[in-house]
Amino acid sequence: METKHSAWEKIRWTWQPASEREAGDSVVRNFLLHWFPAKVTRASLSWNYSFWLGTVSAILFTILTITGVVLMFLYVPSVERAYLSIKDLEYAVTFGWFIRGLHRISAHLMVAVVFLHMIRVFLTAAYRNTLAAGQNRPLNWIVGVLLLLATLLLSFTGYLLPWDQLAYWAITVGTNIASAAPVAGEPIRFLLLGGHTIDQSALIRFYVLHCFFLPLVVLLLFSYHMWRVRKDGGLACVDHLAISQKAVSTAPIRSKTYSLLGITSGSSVHVETALVAEDELTVQSSPNLTRRLLMVAMVTVAAAALLAFLVPAPLEEPANASVTPNPAKAPWYFLWLQELVTDTTFRIGGITINGALVGGVLLPALLVLWLVILPYVDSSPISTVGTWWAAERRKHSLIFLIVILAILVLTVVGTFMRGPYWNFYWPWETWPEMPRRF
Amino acid sequence: MYRKDLIWLYASGIVVLLVTGFLIWSFLEPEWSEYQTDFRDLVMEKFGPQRATQVSGGLKQIWVRELGTVDRCVTCHQGIEWIGLDNAPNPFKTHTGGILQKHPVAQFGCTPCHGGQGYATDTETAHGFVEFWDEPLLGKRLSELYLVRTRSAMLQMNCNACHRYERQTKGADFINRAKDLVQEKGCRACHTINGRGGVIGPDLTEVGGKSPEQYDYSRISGVQTAFAWHVAHFQDPKSLVPETVMPNFNFSSSDAQALSLLVLSWKKRQLPTRYVPGVQLADRPTPEEAEKERQMMTGEGAFFVRKGCFICHSISTLGIESAAKIGPDLAVAVTDVQSRFGRTLEDFLNNPTGTMSVVLSTQIQLTADERKEALDKLKIAYQKTLEQKPKK
Repeated sequence: METKHSAWEKIRWTWQPASEREAGDSVVRNFLLHWFPAKVTRASLSWNYSFWLGTVSAILFTILTITGVVLMFLYVPSVERAYLSIKDLEYAVTFGWFIRGLHRISAHLMVAVVFLHMIRVFLTAAYRNTLAAGQNRPLNWIVGVLLLLATLLLSFTGYLLPWDQLAYWAITVGTNIASAAPVAGEPIRFLLLGGHTIDQSALIRFYVLHCFFLPLVVLLLFSYHMWRVRKDGGLACVDHLAISQKAVSTAPIRSKTYSLLGITSGSSVHVETALVAEDELTVQSSPNLTRRLLMVAMVTVAAAALLAFLVPAPLEEPANASVTPNPAKAPWYFLWLQELVTDTTFRIGGITINGALVGGVLLPALLVLWLVILPYVDSSPISTVGTWWAAERRKHSLIFLIVILAILVLTVVGTFMRGPYWNFYWPWETWPEMPRRF
Repeated sequence: MYRKDLIWLYASGIVVLLVTGFLIWSFLEPEWSEYQTDFRDLVMEKFGPQRATQVSGGLKQIWVRELGTVDRCVTCHQGIEWIGLDNAPNPFKTHTGGILQKHPVAQFGCTPCHGGQGYATDTETAHGFVEFWDEPLLGKRLSELYLVRTRSAMLQMNCNACHRYERQTKGADFINRAKDLVQEKGCRACHTINGRGGVIGPDLTEVGGKSPEQYDYSRISGVQTAFAWHVAHFQDPKSLVPETVMPNFNFSSSDAQALSLLVLSWKKRQLPTRYVPGVQLADRPTPEEAEKERQMMTGEGAFFVRKGCFICHSISTLGIESAAKIGPDLAVAVTDVQSRFGRTLEDFLNNPTGTMSVVLSTQIQLTADERKEALDKLKIAYQKTLEQKPKK
């Protein structure tokens, strides 16, 4: 290995393996790197295919875990102390406002990024199996849907913890929508809140869910999600490479065993995906993948830190059950539901349509169900797997994008165009100023 | 491909460095540290370097656990408890008047009286003129906004948080005037206040806690605040609520302001009893017990009630009945003492032993005259016992 002597070279600290063997060894021998394959395709590393959204959400989750643990040392989950401890964080704890701001903005970003990741996977048909044995991408897609739901729940449970008006009423709106579900609605609300009103028992339940139970669920699902990605032969764009090459290439399939210590049954994923022309299409994971990973992590941290710094986390008045803020809104990622509830509440003749049931429960439940069965009903040709905007999948993409667009439009309307009394305001109209005590 | 990556890597690295740098800078140079430096300079100038070294730096707070308040005001307002800074510029001034003697800072903090946001550590948010904080500093800025002539008038609203059950409070003239008006105009004819009054109008006991959004501002011009609403309403109820039966008392604007501050002070609060003048927690005797004690106080044995002997001893022939009856009936003390201790009653009273030595040296200390009185009375009691016996 070539030794670098100049100080500048040392500061830049780039490690270039001298041989393929050294590069492969680094992956196998290093605990942190062991979950990567020794070699990855250039296509998997590209920006334009995956936008690295899954990685970004994992990095955000890491930021959330670290900041969250710090916050756990400072936050007191009691009705009397919670609000006060957040005020302390904001004004008295060293860097407290920043840690809280970073935690909050990372949570919002994670909801957005996980959502975008799902859109990416759908649009590239990456939830489908191709030719390789042992693939189960539809299952991984379902795990992904569960991860999205867990992310939403994590954010939702964290919303209550500051115990201010924003928290209290967002959870009121959210749980009231949920309680409209037939039969199970009320019992679920009761179980979640530990009573009929949002009080100490609700706070401690949300706290335990937020700090222990849901992160654990995410961690387990995430581990399985990552393991499946390896089992399924990496990103779907690799399948696409293999399929498109197969038609032209006649070279014999090279057998390599990059499997993890040989524990997994059968042969390794690389053998199964039968990637031809490996030498031209792949690069060593170390340092190509690791460097890019570091870079994505750095950009994510920088973006989150900058946003945390520019967008201060709000803290409204202390929670007050007898004063409803106007307007009372659910967290932004549920505002499309709240908007749907409004839009589906109407009267036809003598019948009143219950918007909370239709818009707040039935439609989202159907949406989740639709997401779950999507990979099983998608019958477009497998050549579309791992490609963007495949001509044969235009119809699928269009329907999916219309649904996404509808959700986005409803979210924007709910967030920016619903003022006091949930009245509709155009962006150029100013909301009436709400009265104050003095 | 990777050259571009490096650019991103360095660019994001610079962003992280800048944010970190700013964080450290804002930690090292908070707004309040300037005030602390200025205060130290002021002390140096006025009292010399010796005193200046006594000025401590850093974030300061007064935490009053009983009131649930944390006031960091003293981080900048460092001079409030100093003597001799009466003419210093704010925020370094000594606190006005002698009011801190009765309201020590350690027990009351700052915001329970002055309003504002005690948690905050920068001027604007601490003074509470920010979104999501409904209790701004009750000072010059608000007085000027509402054209209240007396400087301390707004502040008096918070005096009444604790002093609400007092008819008049020293120093709170504005609120006192409002309380006089409540009596004079007979507000209780229609309104219940503190549990007493009519039901024609709404109960005003906790009206100060009403949300500002619960008032109808459609007929009011100018700022939409609960305070402005009350002032306008006191001056002409019908102009705001056409269907009201509340008479127009033609209050002057000053009186209307005073009354508005009074009603806004009527909030539901959780205050420890010792903070509320005129309120006492007591284990009161039942009416029967009180009546019995009153009767015993007027009878022959009044002396023994006054001195507290009756807590343990009955003196049956003098009509004194102890509730506890811990000690023997003193009606026969003359012979009883003799038989128990082998001493005369007089001797025993002058030199008691056992329990009585403790009682008579601590809780019930008798003068020589009182001892004589006790002895005489007990002799009478014994006499009566003897007189009663043959009748049986």
